[in-house]
Amino acid sequence: MVYLDNAATGGKKPERVIKAVENALRNHSANPGRSGHKASLGAGNILYQCRKKAAEFFGAESPDTVCFTSGCTAALNMAMKGLLKKGDHLVISSMEHNAVVRPAHALERMGVGLSVAQVVAGDAEATVRAFREAIRPETRVIVCTHSSNVTGEIMPIYHLGRLCRERNIILVVDAAQTAGVIPINMAEMGIHILCAAPHKGLLAPMGLGLLISRVPIPFTVLEGGTGSLSLSPDMPETLPDRIESGTLNLPAVAGLSAALDHLGTVGTEGIYRKELKLIDTAYVGLAKNPKVELYTPRPEEGQHTPVLSFNIKGIPSADTAAALGERGIAVRGGLHCAPFAHRCIGTADRGTVRVSTSYFNTHRDIAYLLAAVNDITKRA
Amino acid sequence: MDKYFINTGTVTKASMARDTLRRNGINTYVLSARGNISAAGCGFGIVVAGGALEKAKALLQTAKIGIMGITRAN
Repeated sequence: MVYLDNAATGGKKPERVIKAVENALRNHSANPGRSGHKASLGAGNILYQCRKKAAEFFGAESPDTVCFTSGCTAALNMAMKGLLKKGDHLVISSMEHNAVVRPAHALERMGVGLSVAQVVAGDAEATVRAFREAIRPETRVIVCTHSSNVTGEIMPIYHLGRLCRERNIILVVDAAQTAGVIPINMAEMGIHILCAAPHKGLLAPMGLGLLISRVPIPFTVLEGGTGSLSLSPDMPETLPDRIESGTLNLPAVAGLSAALDHLGTVGTEGIYRKELKLIDTAYVGLAKNPKVELYTPRPEEGQHTPVLSFNIKGIPSADTAAALGERGIAVRGGLHCAPFAHRCIGTADRGTVRVSTSYFNTHRDIAYLLAAVNDITKRA
Repeated sequence: MDKYFINTGTVTKASMARDTLRRNGINTYVLSARGNISAAGCGFGIVVAGGALEKAKALLQTAKIGIMGITRAN
């Protein structure tokens, strides 16, 4: 199979990640941060080493700012619902995934004001202006995706960070599509809370999310045992325990730790260039087909992640994706859980076919995709 | 030689404390809290030799790692 659905989940994991997961299951199956025996302390050290690597990788202050969750969606829920209360105001972008849109609407039902800043494709200044105009005196949080999971457009996070600093607003960034794909430095970019999906660009296993926070999180979404301060009926105030109730997914954390080693060795810049080159080849090839509709300009380094959306005229996206699936190509059709983004590009009625590359794809994969699309259009 | 247990609360803070002290030449290791349950409940910390206790306390204070209690470990 030619796997080109890496924006949904990384289709191939490095061998060292697989070995680390296996090693954790075979040799470190103890509950970290709970018991005092050697096996538990060893498991705790696996978590700690991963926290250290993640803090360094994302320019976070210290290992204890790195919290493990069940996924990026959980991390975003914990960040948004952990910061906002009735009477506060929240601004999100018009390109958000439902992992942001749905908690935002749940908060709105609880009395949090909600505004949507219109992203202007290819115009960072206009996008930042839209955010600035949406800010009210009671605005407490801005949540913005780092890159659209539909169009691959990278958002002006650095400028939003500066805006948030000026207005004393907390900036939460959904890095589901960018963590491990393009460099992220929380301190330099002014990101207060970073939420990431390790199973995508970070090449780690599923069942794990990252919430890295430079600010206190006043409210908890999940309460339970942490192995610390257990006489108190309330959650500990300090991170990561405030966020991490219950037993963590140690094998996935071990996998993430190995994945961060892998990315450190290979280098994210080289990975990004390769992935973007592949998506550019796909874009140029698709653009030559008169029956193909594309929705973004040609991918540019620093402007796009390796994701593109297209349709074949007259064929619903789900049908094109299915036809490609029959030819052994894995892509995703539909709305990609991002109806806001599809409204922005005018495809809310039929969705798009999304192609997303990884480091493990080759130009041969892209040639195969282009040949398959040409074949489908000829038969249409 | 006297040893002291410095309670940092969580295993993460204990690991950070261990790294901080080791970087500064103090031999230490992470341990779960011993003895009677403290007012805070279960927890973790690090063990240091008596001669290094004052330096360890100062280093942890500089690193903003809270100390929840200190007890003799031997």
